[in-house]
Amino acid sequence: MADENAEIAQGLRRRDPDLLDRLIEQYQHRLLRYLVHLTGRRELAEDLFQETWVRVLERGRQYDGRRDFTGWLFAIARNLFIDQQRRGRAPSEDSAELDTAAAAGQPSALELAMQHEQSAQILAGMKRLSAEYREALSLRFQEGMSLEEIAGVTGAPLGTVKSRIYRGLSALEPWLKGAGL
Amino acid sequence: MNGDVHERARTLIACGEETPWLAEHLESCAACREFAGSTERTARALRALPITAGWSLVSATQMRVRQRARELQLRQERLGAIWICCAAVTLIAGFTAAALWSGLAWIGERISIAAPVWQMSFVVFSLLPTVVTAILLLARGTHLADNKEV
Repeated sequence: MADENAEIAQGLRRRDPDLLDRLIEQYQHRLLRYLVHLTGRRELAEDLFQETWVRVLERGRQYDGRRDFTGWLFAIARNLFIDQQRRGRAPSEDSAELDTAAAAGQPSALELAMQHEQSAQILAGMKRLSAEYREALSLRFQEGMSLEEIAGVTGAPLGTVKSRIYRGLSALEPWLKGAGL
Repeated sequence: MNGDVHERARTLIACGEETPWLAEHLESCAACREFAGSTERTARALRALPITAGWSLVSATQMRVRQRARELQLRQERLGAIWICCAAVTLIAGFTAAALWSGLAWIGERISIAAPVWQMSFVVFSLLPTVVTAILLLARGTHLADNKEV
């Protein structure tokens, strides 16, 4: 992992377009998923997805390879979202729309319908959470980040991260029950 | 047992921290066991949420990044050229100033004029190109501002 980070740091210093192409493909789903949960809007998340990679190109020389690239990447995405909010273009809750796409594999029609129903319930619950809780849950359970890594991305103390995860889960509970979980 | 104990246990469960104390607590607390099961199912459900980036988004991002990379490369090359020009101009200005100073001193000595006079001439000669350029640029700027609407 350390070698991979060092290699990425070298490539970013050179502004190697091939490396960036590879990274965009490698992190496409993870970064978009994080942004969708952070912003609550697919459209805005896609804009920020592009902005994030342009920022990675521009600020790539600041990445020294000593910390995990994923955390650095997500922190850039997060800062862009905060900038966006500061400029007064925060997404409205009403227009929140978390799109879903068919999962991989060949589930039956019934399974597909149930999965869709379950996903819709969970996404509805996620939409109701505040951005901080959504972010904490997404990083913890979808990205599988450790608490320390989440603290690194969000810039929040470890205790706050723990509290956000716990409170987020508690707030999500009614929707999980609704989804039959 | 009070609420704090359950909250502590649930925070540990939510954060995926396994401790002997938590294991012991879970053996005796059905509600927290249920919370642990629910958390596990939630984690699985969240991981299974099908949010994926489309090919068009990835491809558009790659194109945009490549275009920006070209712009930055061009900007860097221009910046390099500007630095070289600045260095050359500084060098030439240094030599010219030294030559002008010596020349004016020599003329001053030949025609026997006071040192402050030729030194003042040196200042005027040195500043003249800058003053003329500034006036021309100001005039051009005023001209452009006046004709902006056209």
